[in-house]
Amino acid sequence: MALLADATILLGKELRTEFRSRELLTTTVVFILLIFMLFSITFHPTTTESQQFAPGLLWVAFLFAASLMLQPCFLREQTNDTLSALRLSVSDPFAIFFAKLAANTLFLVLTELLMLPFFAGFFNVHILAVLPQLFLVFFLGSLGIAIPGTAFSAISAQARMRELMLPLLLLPVLTPILIATTDVTAGLLGPEPSLNFGGLGIMIAFDVVFLTALWLFGEYLLEE
Amino acid sequence: MKNLDSVLAAYLAGWAIFFVYYISVSQRMSALREEVERLKTLLSKGK
Amino acid sequence: MLKSALRAVVLFVLIAFTAYLAFYYAPIERTMGVIQKIFYLHISCAFSAFVAFGTCFYANLRYVFTREPKSDWLAVSATEVGLAFISVVLVTGPIWAHPVWGIWWTWDARLTLTFVLGLLYVSYLLLRSMIEEPDKRALFSALFGIFAFLDVPLVYFSIRWWRTQHPQPVILGGPGSGLEPRMRVSYLLMWGALTGLLILLLSARYKLEALRASVEDLRREAEVR
Repeated sequence: MALLADATILLGKELRTEFRSRELLTTTVVFILLIFMLFSITFHPTTTESQQFAPGLLWVAFLFAASLMLQPCFLREQTNDTLSALRLSVSDPFAIFFAKLAANTLFLVLTELLMLPFFAGFFNVHILAVLPQLFLVFFLGSLGIAIPGTAFSAISAQARMRELMLPLLLLPVLTPILIATTDVTAGLLGPEPSLNFGGLGIMIAFDVVFLTALWLFGEYLLEE
Repeated sequence: MKNLDSVLAAYLAGWAIFFVYYISVSQRMSALREEVERLKTLLSKGK
Repeated sequence: MLKSALRAVVLFVLIAFTAYLAFYYAPIERTMGVIQKIFYLHISCAFSAFVAFGTCFYANLRYVFTREPKSDWLAVSATEVGLAFISVVLVTGPIWAHPVWGIWWTWDARLTLTFVLGLLYVSYLLLRSMIEEPDKRALFSALFGIFAFLDVPLVYFSIRWWRTQHPQPVILGGPGSGLEPRMRVSYLLMWGALTGLLILLLSARYKLEALRASVEDLRREAEVR
């Protein structure tokens, strides 16, 4: 399929761009570490209290980091004036979005996995037993963040004060993802770890709805 | 009657919000009307 | 001039009518007492707000596919008016809640949804203020509006699910439970009056937007000369 072929090529470009400099990943990692530190200082986590607040703090940290990490997504294309070239290079404009959101999801999951040991250490939570399930939550949650995040990156690139606009647009929309991921993570980190399928269902529903919307309206987001 | 002041407060607040909004729309409307007049005179002078 | 005076008169009449309904016509509820009367305003406003935001969604879709400026005018008007109604919901809710629940606020499904809805559409207006070019502003705010509206059922169901995980004591039997005929009539009439208010505010705001568009045209013409 032309769409997948184009998307794969573009995904390769996105990954190469990032891994050449790694500036996005490094700055995001440092930012999340900072947030963890701030939370630890202000909330004084002990073991029992940690388990109550920790999942929420984890995902709030990820959300803040993501709303910064997603900024350059389309901004980069605008500053270098490469958007029109990109549009000409593909048969289906959705390929551009597909590649970008795949890259963004990958970067987010990578960052989250890197941060997991720090999280376990600072907040005294046991993660080893539920590692595969945590990975699933990270993947579905990051996908949920990346899909509207990529779309709104294209929108905020058109606006003034775009660094502030992206979080303002993105964070209210991500309410269902925050609720679902926090609760499922809490279920996994609690005294009797279990995977909450209702929460996973919400994440999947969210991902499907927004992916469909992006597929239907993506081409308009690329208009100049 | 208990809580009657709360009911009054709620209704007054509600109506106040509608009034303030309506007044805001009216004010913006008259400001724009003035602007239209100004621009029309400017354009007719230019002719 | 006459039209706006007439509009103001209609506004007064509608407001006075809601006052009559709430304070005179509607009976006093048995368990909650007089505080229940807040519901007539609170619930009708919530419903009107949803109608307004639904109108915005429709206008957003229309704009993306037709690019008619009129749809953009309708979208921004519906959003502003919707936010006015949502503000009334968010103010009357806590005023009711404090004497009854003892707290001003709680994050249950309906309240959280109302709050998030307010935030979403405030962001929509902020986005519009940050894009200067009219066509771009219309298109990109319409696209955001579409995404935002699609989020609404997801927000509602996710919070409801979250609440079933962490049940709260059921404080409220639901305002519709045990409706006496005069209460039902009060609700309907109040909702009618507020729908009238919605239409009035919407048409006023729409005319404002249409006028703003013609001012922009005139300005452009003046600059060219």
